[in-house]
Amino acid sequence: METVIEVRGLVKRYGDLIAVNGIDLDVKAGEVCSILGPNGAGKTTSVEIMECLRKKTSGEVRILGHDIQKGQREIKKRIGVLPQSFNAFDYLTVKENIEYFGGLFEKRIATDELIEAVQLQDKRNVWFTNLSGGLKQRVGVAIAMVNDPDLVFLDEPTTGLDPKARREVWEVIRKLKSQNKTVILTTHYMEEAEVLSDHVAIMNDGRFIAMGTPKQIVDQYGSGSTCIVKGANAAATEAVRSAGMAFESNHGDLLVRMDNKGSLAKLIGLLSSSEVTYDEVLIKGSSLEDVFLKLTGKKLVEVEQ
Amino acid sequence: MRPKHVLVDLKGQARSFFRIKSNLFWVFAFPLLLIVIFGAIFSNMGSEAVTLNVQNLDEGPGSQQMLAALNETGMVKLKFISPSTDLDQYVKDNSLAYVMVIPANYSSNLASNVTATVELRLDETVSTSGTVFNAVNGVVNAMNLYMAGGDQYIVIEVGSIVQKRFTFLDFFVPGIIGLTIMTTCVFNVQGTISRFRANGIFRKLATTPMTPFEWLLSRILWHLFISFLTLAVIMGFGMLIFGMSMSVNLVVVLMIIAGSAMFSALGMIVARFVKNEETASMAANAITFPMMFLSGTFFQLEMMPSYLQQIAKVLPLTYMSQGLRDAMVYDNLADAYFNLAVVAVIGVIFVIVAVLITRWEEE
Repeated sequence: METVIEVRGLVKRYGDLIAVNGIDLDVKAGEVCSILGPNGAGKTTSVEIMECLRKKTSGEVRILGHDIQKGQREIKKRIGVLPQSFNAFDYLTVKENIEYFGGLFEKRIATDELIEAVQLQDKRNVWFTNLSGGLKQRVGVAIAMVNDPDLVFLDEPTTGLDPKARREVWEVIRKLKSQNKTVILTTHYMEEAEVLSDHVAIMNDGRFIAMGTPKQIVDQYGSGSTCIVKGANAAATEAVRSAGMAFESNHGDLLVRMDNKGSLAKLIGLLSSSEVTYDEVLIKGSSLEDVFLKLTGKKLVEVEQ
Repeated sequence: MRPKHVLVDLKGQARSFFRIKSNLFWVFAFPLLLIVIFGAIFSNMGSEAVTLNVQNLDEGPGSQQMLAALNETGMVKLKFISPSTDLDQYVKDNSLAYVMVIPANYSSNLASNVTATVELRLDETVSTSGTVFNAVNGVVNAMNLYMAGGDQYIVIEVGSIVQKRFTFLDFFVPGIIGLTIMTTCVFNVQGTISRFRANGIFRKLATTPMTPFEWLLSRILWHLFISFLTLAVIMGFGMLIFGMSMSVNLVVVLMIIAGSAMFSALGMIVARFVKNEETASMAANAITFPMMFLSGTFFQLEMMPSYLQQIAKVLPLTYMSQGLRDAMVYDNLADAYFNLAVVAVIGVIFVIVAVLITRWEEE
């Protein structure tokens, strides 16, 4: 499979501040790759260098086989970009906005086809300023697609959207994937990266701290499954402690780590005792959120705050 | 450079510009409003007779002779106060700015070759007081000369400096055209750049094959079109409503082109150096406001103190307004070309600077 993005030792400095600190990245054609991290992690800076929007300090970046500095003209013809916090022209309609950006490219997709792809047929003649946040982002994605790009960059396309609007944008991204487009998605929503991506790179303080498929990352850096015993009584807690199992207590729930295959059977045995009472038992696997917590010692939400 | 990109942007601007109501107000309604207001205030200044209140206590022919002479000047319209009225109270109650009193002994003194006096009370803070004084003084001098049997050795022949007779609006309208072009170009370009930067439109455009030069060219061409539209609307309004006659010649056309480019580029420079949207708007105001009042838009530069006149000489709008006036009103093409040259040179410098410093890419 063709390598669409090759990044080696990319560094971006602003005076003494190192925004991107020597990252490497390979993205294959047809993949959805998410760059995940909190605000200030360096993900937008990294992506904007790949989009020809910022100059790198050092390192090598090749996009679609072209060097980022020498081949900008060719790269721009073949990439589609939805910049962070993008708003199109307020007083042009959805159709006119798409036509505007389509007119800047030699190769372009028909406006009606794009409007249909993002399911905005009934909003085609509505001014951009009168659209909701989710609809605006869908217009942004349509604009990113006007030149039928091989590589699409979506920079935080769901930030600030309500859950319903976020899922609408996810559907559009899934459609891009089904069309075999390569998509680079930056986000600080773990769930979004987990649901949409083939490949995830977790970034913190200008570095990639984990990389791979969501499963690979969870398997490599996660802490295995956790069994949650809800409404456990004191006898249940004592039984788990006596059995030497690793656990945490959280508002009356027991969070018992499943270290190996035998752990679950052992726990069920303990919970079978007549003195033990509980409401229900749930089994939860590790998530990217857990991985982020483990690798950085911080919850993503805390970092955002 | 690809003309197609310029055309795409021009089409986008044409579509959105007229959908924003505030654009229509500032570009078309505001200058017309200024013309109507200032036209109403100043257009009849000096030509309409000033009402002069007179209390005539004299019943003889001398006072009648004087009042007839005052009437003939056409400068004052006489209104009589009854001799029995308490004059001080009347002046106070009616807030009069000037009043003339002819005393009871006026005619008898004249007949007896004794100096006769008329009393003229003026409020010097009222601008038309001078007109009243000149009218009364002129009549008194003429009567003195007549009674002394003197000859007129020197007479004044009054003519107009300009070839045709012009009104205040003829002076005012070219200034308003220059002012509107300045505000439209500076504020629209600065506002657009600040907004596009905040909305991510520049970041988006930077990832397309369009170049910053193509975009700047499109913006300058669009404002050139709007400037000519402004010229047509203001002139059409002046001709239809006020019956003005103005000429549009090559210098006017070139001045509009140079001025639009100059002020559009100034808007780009402001937006480049002041990146915050609100601060950029304040900076644009700080630059245009002094020009608005010091560049001879509303009144002649000669009316200002000399140090302000020196400041006016470094303001580009001074040359644009004066050049338009020279070309449209005074038919003074030599001065018009000089002013055009100044605007063109400043315009070229501003455009070069704007092209060199305008960036889409982040630093």
